[in-house]
Amino acid sequence: MSNIFSFNGAEESGYSQPYPIADAEQAKATIPTNLLRKERAGWPTASEPELVRHYTWLSRRNFGIDTGFYPLGSCTMKHNPRINEKIVQLAGMNDIHPLAPENHLQGLMSIFFEMQEMLAHCAGMDAVTLQPVAGAQGEFTAIRCIQEYHRMIGEEHRDKVIVPDSAHGTNPASAAMCGYSIIEIPSGEDGRLDLDALRAVVGEDTAAMMITNPSTLGVFEPDIAEAAKIVHEAGGQMYYDGANFNAIIGRTNPGLMGFDAVHYNLHKTFSQPHGGGGPGSGPIGVKEHLAEFLPSPIVSRRPAEEKEIGACDGWWYTWQKPEKSIGKVQQWHGNAGAVVRSWAFYRRYGKDLTTMSEHAVLNANYLRYKIMNPEPEVLEKIHAMPVDGCPAEVVKHEFTLSMSPLVDAVGVNGKDVAKRLLDYGYMAPTLYFPMIVPECLMIEPTETESKEELDLFAENFHKVLSDDPEILTSAPHNTDVKRVDEVWAARNLILRHTDE
Amino acid sequence: MVDQLPNLGREQEMLAVMGLASMDDLFSDIPEEVRRTTPLDLPPPQTEEEIWKDATRLLGANVPINSRPSFIGAGLYANHVPAMVPMLATRGEFLTSYTPYQPEVSQGMLQAMWEFQTMVSELVGLPVSNVSMYDASTAAAEAITTAVRVLNRKAEQKDTIYVSELVPEHRFSVIENYTQGGGITIKRIPHDENGHVSLEAIKEAAGSCAVYVEQPNAFGIADEGITQVKSIIGENTALIVGVNAVSLGLMEAPGNYGADIVVGEGQPFGIGPTAGGPIYGIFACKENFIRQMPGRIVGLSHDSDGQRAFTLTLSTREQHIRRHKATSNICSNETLIALMGAMHMSLLGPAGLETLAIRNSAAALRTKEEIVSIEGISLEHPDSAHFNEFVVRLPDSAESLCLFLDQRGITPGLPVDILFPNFDPNLILISCTDQTSIGDVELLSAGINAWIQEVRK
Repeated sequence: MSNIFSFNGAEESGYSQPYPIADAEQAKATIPTNLLRKERAGWPTASEPELVRHYTWLSRRNFGIDTGFYPLGSCTMKHNPRINEKIVQLAGMNDIHPLAPENHLQGLMSIFFEMQEMLAHCAGMDAVTLQPVAGAQGEFTAIRCIQEYHRMIGEEHRDKVIVPDSAHGTNPASAAMCGYSIIEIPSGEDGRLDLDALRAVVGEDTAAMMITNPSTLGVFEPDIAEAAKIVHEAGGQMYYDGANFNAIIGRTNPGLMGFDAVHYNLHKTFSQPHGGGGPGSGPIGVKEHLAEFLPSPIVSRRPAEEKEIGACDGWWYTWQKPEKSIGKVQQWHGNAGAVVRSWAFYRRYGKDLTTMSEHAVLNANYLRYKIMNPEPEVLEKIHAMPVDGCPAEVVKHEFTLSMSPLVDAVGVNGKDVAKRLLDYGYMAPTLYFPMIVPECLMIEPTETESKEELDLFAENFHKVLSDDPEILTSAPHNTDVKRVDEVWAARNLILRHTDE
Repeated sequence: MVDQLPNLGREQEMLAVMGLASMDDLFSDIPEEVRRTTPLDLPPPQTEEEIWKDATRLLGANVPINSRPSFIGAGLYANHVPAMVPMLATRGEFLTSYTPYQPEVSQGMLQAMWEFQTMVSELVGLPVSNVSMYDASTAAAEAITTAVRVLNRKAEQKDTIYVSELVPEHRFSVIENYTQGGGITIKRIPHDENGHVSLEAIKEAAGSCAVYVEQPNAFGIADEGITQVKSIIGENTALIVGVNAVSLGLMEAPGNYGADIVVGEGQPFGIGPTAGGPIYGIFACKENFIRQMPGRIVGLSHDSDGQRAFTLTLSTREQHIRRHKATSNICSNETLIALMGAMHMSLLGPAGLETLAIRNSAAALRTKEEIVSIEGISLEHPDSAHFNEFVVRLPDSAESLCLFLDQRGITPGLPVDILFPNFDPNLILISCTDQTSIGDVELLSAGINAWIQEVRK
């Protein structure tokens, strides 16, 4: 057990810095006495050799895509190409200031422009801003734009946002932050959008509907165009949660489905690494009528003049603030580094982004088939087969399985299965989401897993379903720590190190 | 040809297993009326080598801050980040992991974030820190909404908060966007001619939900008066202080002068300015705000064998459980950059932090001395203390100085009217870091002199 707070070397052992360029005491004296720090921060005092070993040790106790298969549904845990990391380490990315003059940032702005155009094209939207730094912030930003649009056309009385009960939690949370009341509509018995339920709630107070398609069950909503029509006829706007965009690029798009606004998760579809929880990037795209509300800045371009030094490919790029912009949602230009990584990813595929989506769907359907159709001799040993969270001939990029039959058969629940999968060297699928599927496991393999990896996972999944129930309920067994007491953590709230 | 797809060329084999004939069969569920009928109008795929070539060419057209004498800052600073930091943080186990929902296989990141929480807590002098916000502006905005949720019931001025008028436009705009939905009224706090917050005006904020001030403020001013604010506004009004994190190596931790919540840009610890993102916001608070605070939090616990173990905790505040009643919509945050921050902070240690702060302030002192000796320009706040940046009044527009010196390979600072659109265009904010050298200062001084000669012609 490596503990950073046990490193207590002498001051001299730490990181050396050059001398200040003015007298240290004089510099200190510029700060008023009662504003001077009286006691140093209780940080560890450690040398580079100790810390390199500490963080390497920590990294080995952490599971990433690089460690093994990561079928975490709704999170699109695809391979992160390493060239993208090399690119953002360049001084021309890492060491630039967002408020520097435009002639210092032409290269970055040309990449921004290309991304705006590409994202708009793929989603069938008219304008894009790269400002939001996470999917949830993209939702918030788009709902803010819709809010300002309604205010402009004198429809500010529209104070309700409709979300299906299968929606990501961020949808209602983001709309509530903008001041809307939330109407949650139940899914139909087949897990799909229920048009009657939608018709029953739309009206003069409808500001927007937020929905993801394919849904969180991994199935395409067949009635999406009709849903858009219902909402539009009531005067509401359609918002597309782009968390599941990886399933459809080149095959359909939110514009064709009738959406007015969409967010993209660059950390899902475009492989910005998740980094243990972030950074992300959540650009939004909108149709023409919402474009003037987008947050600044947006990049536009004109042919460069000869005297303009720093121009890229004959273009001169400028920052634009849309006329009725809602302002900023992050104080700089968004997560520019994430945009550049995603640009490199996009360039890797170009028009073959369609192939990318096709392979994501191929892998999901293949894995679903392999799990649901074990060989008879394997099936014999399984306590109970899971049931599909949603009956469908084909799914899109992910699928859900209910472990309820296993609960009934041997008292083993979804969490036990998830924890046991850790023992087999896998990250657990998304657990207990969407909430409309009991004992739900949500599995998204992504396009970057090989057939062999999928075959092996299905085989091991069947082994888990056949394991001794006691081994399952006490899983995991082969991990760095055994099952962690989360209740104790919440009751005792030990949120930092203390010397006691 | 795309080289990222292991199953390319094996589609038929896999389809056959499922009894399907073609890739189109996988998309038969998409109604014809919404199908895309034309291929994407995008260029063909590129190889890694071609992408690298384009990336180096395009990003090479940018002008890096440290490629020349540069005095641009205003909240993002190009200070040195030790080589260890990016090398370790980009280890695949950290880089390619998701939010640690499964603590049994995520102890590494959980422990690193618990250590991060401890270091931030120590830095700002408050007991609780989260795992990061997007940046300083969203941290400030969510600190305000947190304070309103906790204190509105007791507040005499319901749904009202006070924000320093020296919070720049781009940051204030974020605060407005985040607070308007909750019907929160924002009042601005004026400053005196020294750039100090008006303590007289602060009295009016007593009874409101919160006061938000920055220390040092956007003009780099270390404001002694802020240490008295809490005693003026009282227990039931939250004092939220936005900090320059590096300054806390030298300046008092705001928790020690009554701050209830401290926020700020963590960026100088861990990563370059990177065009403004990804960076990370710090968010720390007193215990009474814990259940209303936004973001992920790691707690210590144990496993079923009684071994020490870490886990995410208090998730009942969060959107995936509470949905529209959540304290915030934040889900993805900036964990990896916070990890880089933790690595940098632990390498510096307490003494190194103080040295870093002194180097910053010494650089500003040296630059200030050099600049004020130039005839025709003056300090805008000569009687105030500054940490690492300060405002100078010029005989002509800051924009013209920037243009003049840009052609000579110097970035002299940031025109103040970029931060505050209504301010005098002749003001410039000059920012220093640990990377500011004596040579840089001399070149800046000579450059300003040359410009003044030009202006006088």
